[in-house]
Amino acid sequence: MQLKRRKFIQLGSAAGAALTVGSQFGMKAKASALMELKQTGSASPTGKKNQEIPYTCLTCNIEDGGIAYVEDGRIRRLEGNPNHPGNRGKLCAKGNAGHLHVYDPTRILNPLKRVGPRGSGKWKRITWDEALSEVAGKIQGAMDIDPMSVMFQYGRNRTHGLVYRFMNALGSGTVNNHTSICECNKKVAMEHAWGPDIETPDFAHTKYILNFGSNLAEAAYFHNPYIQRLMDGKIENKAKLVTFDPRMTNTGAISDEWIPLKPATDGVVALAMCNVILQEGLADTEFIRKYTNVTAHQLTEHLKQYTPEFAEKESGVSADTIRRIAIEFATAGPATTYTYRGSSMHQNGVYTEKATMMLNVVTGNIEKRGGFNLPRGLGFGGGPGPHPPKPPHSILKYPPEYPLASHHVSHHVSHSILEGRQKINVFMLYCHNPLYTQPDGDTWKQILTSEKHIPYSVSFSINMDDSTKYADIILPDTTFLERWDPESMPSSALGWVGLRQPVIKPLGNAKAFRDTIYELAQKIDPDGKRGVKKYFSYGSAESYVKNQLEATPGLKAAGGFKLLKKYGVWPFYDKKKEDNFKFGAHEETLSESDLAGTTLEGRTLMKGGKSVGLMVDGKAVRGFGTPSRTFQVNVPEWEHYGFEPMPHYEAIEDHKRMKSDELLLSTYKPNVHTQSRTPNLKWLQELHHRNPAWINTETAKARGIGNDDLIRITSPIGYMVTKARVTEGIHPQVVAIATSSGMSNKSTLGNYGGSKDPDIVQNTWWDDTGVHPNQIIPVSTDPIGGGMGWFDTVITVTKAKSGDKYGDTRSDRGAARKAFEKALSKATKVRTEDAHNTTAKTNVRDEIHTEVGGVFGTTAKLRDFEDPFNTTA
Amino acid sequence: MAKKIKYAMVIDINRCIGCKACMTSCKAENEVPLGVFRNHVRELEKGIYPNMKKIFLPVLCNQCDKPACKAALPEGYEDAITKRDDGIVVWDEAKCKGKVAEAAIEGCPYSNPYMHPQKNVFQKCDYCAHRVDAGLQPACVATCIGGARIFGDVNDSTSDVFKYMATHSTHVLKPEEGTEPNTYYVALDRITAERLEGSQQLPPTDATEIAVENFSG
Ligand code: SF4
Ligand code: SF4
Ligand code: SF4
Repeated sequence: MQLKRRKFIQLGSAAGAALTVGSQFGMKAKASALMELKQTGSASPTGKKNQEIPYTCLTCNIEDGGIAYVEDGRIRRLEGNPNHPGNRGKLCAKGNAGHLHVYDPTRILNPLKRVGPRGSGKWKRITWDEALSEVAGKIQGAMDIDPMSVMFQYGRNRTHGLVYRFMNALGSGTVNNHTSICECNKKVAMEHAWGPDIETPDFAHTKYILNFGSNLAEAAYFHNPYIQRLMDGKIENKAKLVTFDPRMTNTGAISDEWIPLKPATDGVVALAMCNVILQEGLADTEFIRKYTNVTAHQLTEHLKQYTPEFAEKESGVSADTIRRIAIEFATAGPATTYTYRGSSMHQNGVYTEKATMMLNVVTGNIEKRGGFNLPRGLGFGGGPGPHPPKPPHSILKYPPEYPLASHHVSHHVSHSILEGRQKINVFMLYCHNPLYTQPDGDTWKQILTSEKHIPYSVSFSINMDDSTKYADIILPDTTFLERWDPESMPSSALGWVGLRQPVIKPLGNAKAFRDTIYELAQKIDPDGKRGVKKYFSYGSAESYVKNQLEATPGLKAAGGFKLLKKYGVWPFYDKKKEDNFKFGAHEETLSESDLAGTTLEGRTLMKGGKSVGLMVDGKAVRGFGTPSRTFQVNVPEWEHYGFEPMPHYEAIEDHKRMKSDELLLSTYKPNVHTQSRTPNLKWLQELHHRNPAWINTETAKARGIGNDDLIRITSPIGYMVTKARVTEGIHPQVVAIATSSGMSNKSTLGNYGGSKDPDIVQNTWWDDTGVHPNQIIPVSTDPIGGGMGWFDTVITVTKAKSGDKYGDTRSDRGAARKAFEKALSKATKVRTEDAHNTTAKTNVRDEIHTEVGGVFGTTAKLRDFEDPFNTTA
Repeated sequence: MAKKIKYAMVIDINRCIGCKACMTSCKAENEVPLGVFRNHVRELEKGIYPNMKKIFLPVLCNQCDKPACKAALPEGYEDAITKRDDGIVVWDEAKCKGKVAEAAIEGCPYSNPYMHPQKNVFQKCDYCAHRVDAGLQPACVATCIGGARIFGDVNDSTSDVFKYMATHSTHVLKPEEGTEPNTYYVALDRITAERLEGSQQLPPTDATEIAVENFSG
């Protein structure tokens, strides 16, 4: 049957003018329709008037702006905030379902005390007073023995400093985050190369995008805002998108070319391309000369070893393709790379990230329209004073084996506790579900169930997740729609400051973490004798957050906290400037006052022991946020610890030794989920609940595996039994499994336990909730960045053995331990007395930011203020 | 005299990223029960590794000028489904239920309507008529991250949808059915007719099951 082409309307000139799809910030005036339909607003099917309250999303960590529509005290609906310069009125699939977090059938609405053995699921409701008294008593006891034995483990903590205020006040540096299982290798590489730990590419105005291992169409920083611009660039600006990824992601799907490659070889492909660009005379040698710490000649000589033929041998990408793409990238006009966890969360991830950054350096695509640019975002002040002094760092946070791992080594913590590296008396868990989200989850289970290793454990949690179920006491937290936080993310060239505010009163007896900590501090130190209470005298959570936000330069004048409560966001650049934004932050000339009192060391301008600028052809400019103010192609600090300072590729040892029947295990985040946090949201669970393992058709055939067959996947530490999804969309040596399925706490999933939502009770049509792979993924670590080698596990795959049941997962404690020791054995042998201080210096993300601009702000200066809402007039 | 309003939606397949924001926003806006959808994004795969392609096809009610769902209504129930002046095809829940609803659902060649599992009534996408009436874009359009959905009055030459159609070639699904849809597609020719024929048989439910179908381009 032929599909008939049908031109609906033929018409002439004027109407054919360029148009913008969707309503964009500040662009509403263009529409001249008599009856223009607004993007967002209240139109309840019941006809009732809704309250409209702006908030900042936290369904993932992109922090988009939204508007909540509240009807009779219940959140009816969430929409994007059309005034938000990042997400421009749109929410992703998760964000649109975000209010289901509030009404999660497994939500905990009262403090719970364990009454059976750990993990038995037997709980007793207690009052807040009882709960806080008990926790305070345990903390006091631990403080009396050793304050460092009070441990705090957090994950998606968006309090901007409150956890540190609390722990510092207790005198404990035993605080750990989750960044090493996220994307810390990328961060560490970027911090040493150019200062900030992220980039903001100008996708809308670029001509060429080389994507290594990021899946912007589904996840990644900054999925929603970035993919909007990327599609504008692709469709309106005719940019070419090339994706290197072993799996056919949605980003692969929308790419002009999808180039599957062997995992952990992105770096060698990038370096070979840089080599081609230099050899072909296509490099921007002026940029290299002016703004890096190597010469074009040095770089050319250094990169000669990375021939396209060598890269082909390593990656499987043909030398011809590498040459062709390199030349296209260098000649397309403005171009940019983008990377995320796929390329960087390998044992060689730091090198890989620097290698891909080099593509932008050799082509001079840094800080320019359509290029690879510095982020525009803000850090926040530490809130109302006084501020507690910093205690020493715990060995769990900064293990001396990883002196450059500025974002902690969280996936080593379970093993370190197991071997007693740090004695723990009280363990607190907040916004993190290590048993599920960390590799080798069974080691976490081992310590969470062991009263010897963790004598007392507290979970601040919204719902009963896999880790919380092993707590001794649960202090029910509020969702992101019931709490206060300041926010800022560099999710577009137009920086912004946003507010997260409660859109309803907390459900039941849930209490916002900010308030819980405040009250807990009073209980710990009722008479002030412990020196804790004085740091907790700021009153309400709202006043704390107000204080943090109003330290933002210019905000107060624009309307301050009141403006944020009303609009949810304050775009701190001129709203109209995304189309002709001024880049070149590194080229900005230093002012007279900047220059006063500086001394010159080499090309670097120093002031008070800190580098403040760079001399370029006799002109003093801002440069980059590194010690030398150059883009550090050569990182001296790496050399000090025995690593390669120049752009480098190192094949992963296990991968070199792979036998012909062995494969590599990869995991991924599907577009409708956020790891372990969203599987309880019915509309998301409906769209993605099971997670069969993607396996290439040929690979499956060689093993007699058919689609949906039961298979056994064996790793160095265990095995799992799951189903196969046979597809052409994956590298023949790779098996990929989605996260966000297979929560061990089955009673909370699939049938949603005792849910009261009649829709869930009556209409849930699936019972397969998948199998989670993390239990069989061993610990492995990038020795520089301290990041987890998520996609490096060598496995074998066979049809299931007799007796294997769907969902069987086993791991071997001895083998898990050996894997951990193997990871440690690759760490640097160079020990530095002040390793902690070295790392603390580059740790720009996790500590309290006492200086505004501390997070991304080395070069992001506020300029071109304009009140977006004319509220001051 | 101003022309009367006629609503249409254009879906640009070249812009769809398969993110499914439209699906969850629709569920939330219209309180659509689990197991049924007013709006579904189909994922199609074609080709042999590494020359493999994947494409997304969002499907929703076409608000047909000759609605086959309405034509299928049993005698005496003709007004259970009506076409509004602005082109939106709506139903009367008091009338379009049980056997009447079944006939109408059966009649749609696109498998768009569904039976509400508890209310036992006919339901489907109505371009979020309650939002449109309040001067708002349909929920899926407002949140479409790829910028793939363009909605408005095709009789208004200043509207985004008018301009988009004027500058892009569009197709409709199954024109041979003679239903005269008002949901148009840009780049639908990336998907072959054979593929479209098969598309209605796809279960509009488990989105993790990706149909391996034929399409070109
Ligand atoms: S991408 Fe989605 S979940 Fe993340 S902040 Fe934006 S709307 Fe929320
Ligand atoms: S698409 Fe189906 S339900 Fe919608 S108007 Fe046409 S025939 Fe009726
Ligand atoms: S929201 Fe838009 S881009 Fe996303 S799947 Fe739906 S139509 Fe495609």
